[in-house]
Amino acid sequence: MAVPLGAFIAVSAVLFFIGTAGVLVRRNAVVILMSVELMLNATNLALVAFSRRYSSIDERGSVFVVFIFVVAAAEVAVGLAIVLSAYRNKPTVDVDEIRQMRG
Amino acid sequence: MFDLVEPALFAILTIAIVAAGVGVVLANRITTSALLMAFTFLNVAGMFVLLGAETIAMFQVLIYVGAITVLILYGVMFTPQSPRPYGLFFQGQKFWAALLVVPIGIVVAIVGSLGFHDSATVAAKGGDLVPLATSVFRDFAFPFEVASVLLLAAMVGAIVLVKRDEE
Amino acid sequence: MPVGPFGIDPAIWAPLRLVIAVLLAVGLVFNGALAQIYLERKIQAVIQDRLGPLHTGPWGLLQTLADAIKLLGKEDIRARLTDKWFFLAAPSIVFSPMLASFVVIPFAPGIVGADLNVGLLYLTTLGSMTVLGIVIAGWASNNKYSLIGGLRSAGQLISYEVPQILSLVTVVVVIGTLSMVGIADSQPGWQVNFLVLPLAFVTYFIAGLAETNRNPFDLPEAESELVAGFLTEYSGMRWAMFFLAEYGEVTIVSSIVTTLWFGAWHGPFVEVFPLLGVLWFTLKTYFFVLVFMWIRATLPRLRIDQLMSLCWKVLIPLTLVNLMITSILVLAFPTTLVPVAIANWILLAAFVLALPYFQRRRLIGLRERLRTAA
Repeated sequence: MAVPLGAFIAVSAVLFFIGTAGVLVRRNAVVILMSVELMLNATNLALVAFSRRYSSIDERGSVFVVFIFVVAAAEVAVGLAIVLSAYRNKPTVDVDEIRQMRG
Repeated sequence: MFDLVEPALFAILTIAIVAAGVGVVLANRITTSALLMAFTFLNVAGMFVLLGAETIAMFQVLIYVGAITVLILYGVMFTPQSPRPYGLFFQGQKFWAALLVVPIGIVVAIVGSLGFHDSATVAAKGGDLVPLATSVFRDFAFPFEVASVLLLAAMVGAIVLVKRDEE
Repeated sequence: MPVGPFGIDPAIWAPLRLVIAVLLAVGLVFNGALAQIYLERKIQAVIQDRLGPLHTGPWGLLQTLADAIKLLGKEDIRARLTDKWFFLAAPSIVFSPMLASFVVIPFAPGIVGADLNVGLLYLTTLGSMTVLGIVIAGWASNNKYSLIGGLRSAGQLISYEVPQILSLVTVVVVIGTLSMVGIADSQPGWQVNFLVLPLAFVTYFIAGLAETNRNPFDLPEAESELVAGFLTEYSGMRWAMFFLAEYGEVTIVSSIVTTLWFGAWHGPFVEVFPLLGVLWFTLKTYFFVLVFMWIRATLPRLRIDQLMSLCWKVLIPLTLVNLMITSILVLAFPTTLVPVAIANWILLAAFVLALPYFQRRRLIGLRERLRTAA
């Protein structure tokens, strides 16, 4: 008995929504970045699952996943650079407190 | 008896992924969140191996556990916060966020899994190294070059953003 | 009914092969570490014109055992730490990837734990997981010298991964497979890869020295720098875990060098007795381990900025040029490897001969600047 594709999709969906909850609920900017990484991982899982099951010649889903890896790495680097610059300005990473440009 | 290996591995990995993911979001200390995130990455790599995409699994560990986790740990180390009472842990909109996310998540998970009954772990395609390599370097060579330019721009941008102005 | 290697039923051979590989790995790591600790002290002593351990056992052979007993008996001191679980977990995070690397190494024709068709990528991946352990070790010790040592070591390891991977990619471009067994099989007899790709060997060896935190790149863990860097707060058996991990990594890097450039288990009479391959493999691997120790006893340590500029300004351009030229030549002459070999040896000669020239120019410039500043 092998694992049905739907099970992988369900896991991917659950992980994606855990990441979304993290982004919406936590106050610490670094934890928000971590939750975004969880969401990206969930999409990677879904893409690779579909690609392995339905692609006949080439693995286009996996190719897309390679590019998602690249973009995720770049995004974490720049995101952390921004968080560190903001921390240097006012020593907090609490997104509720970084509100000088508000309104 | 060996037919139960794949579903058993899938069950273990699923429980680990979900538990670690919830741990990332809810952990009290940020360092625990970071390590649980690395653990989630490792388990997702295990899922990739279960699907037969071992090259993607190696890339996942190499990039996510090897580099992104270290970056996040640097971010954690360089932004120390004074400890706050647990009551102010979540943002003000925590109630509405949880209310929206949990039902929608459950609905999507159930609906998404209903349509696909075919087995995913059909490992009869001999691994994914050769098709992946030919796709990336032949059909998608231009996006590959654009991705390298993107990485260069991100690297330069990150260095410029964090550089201190020497006065 | 299909017959597996050595005439054993394939259904039994697959798990049996894994068990043999695990036993070999554990045996190699622990006994290898014992042997290497003794060899290191003796060889350093001989090169430094002294005698080394002499009294414990004949020729000091039981010295390592005495060291192990001493380390086991040390008091488990734990200062006020930032995080107890991280402190305790860090040696395991550094040690486990090294142990897992032995699975794909081909010791003899047929004796390999798992013939992954991405074996080389697997080894690189495991090498990058040790960075995490070192950062955690440096940070969890609640000691700013440990933190700085850990961050420096992480920076060094991440930087030197690039020339390492580029050198490996150069070899893969020529051979055409990532599988370690495939690479070992593609070098029959005397046609070893060293004759074709010497520059990749040199750059991989230098990057491997840096990746395993060995001299001349052992700034993060040296005893005279930063109070032993990220290892400061680790004493007794935890320190021993880090050092077992380091010696295991040295063995892994030597095994990779042996497999990729020197024909793994090939040697005289190995077609007649396949198990003789284990002997040739071990001899070749330990030759490179001895070269590691020879370099440690001979060269002075590099400063962190010298180390980083060596990586980013010298090794990365060199490996990139090597990869580019090798790829172009492999595509232009698909049937023969002679142009690739010629180009590589020319590049290697140019690199070796150009080094003193650039060094002289740098020193002259430095002297000029010092003279004008004084």
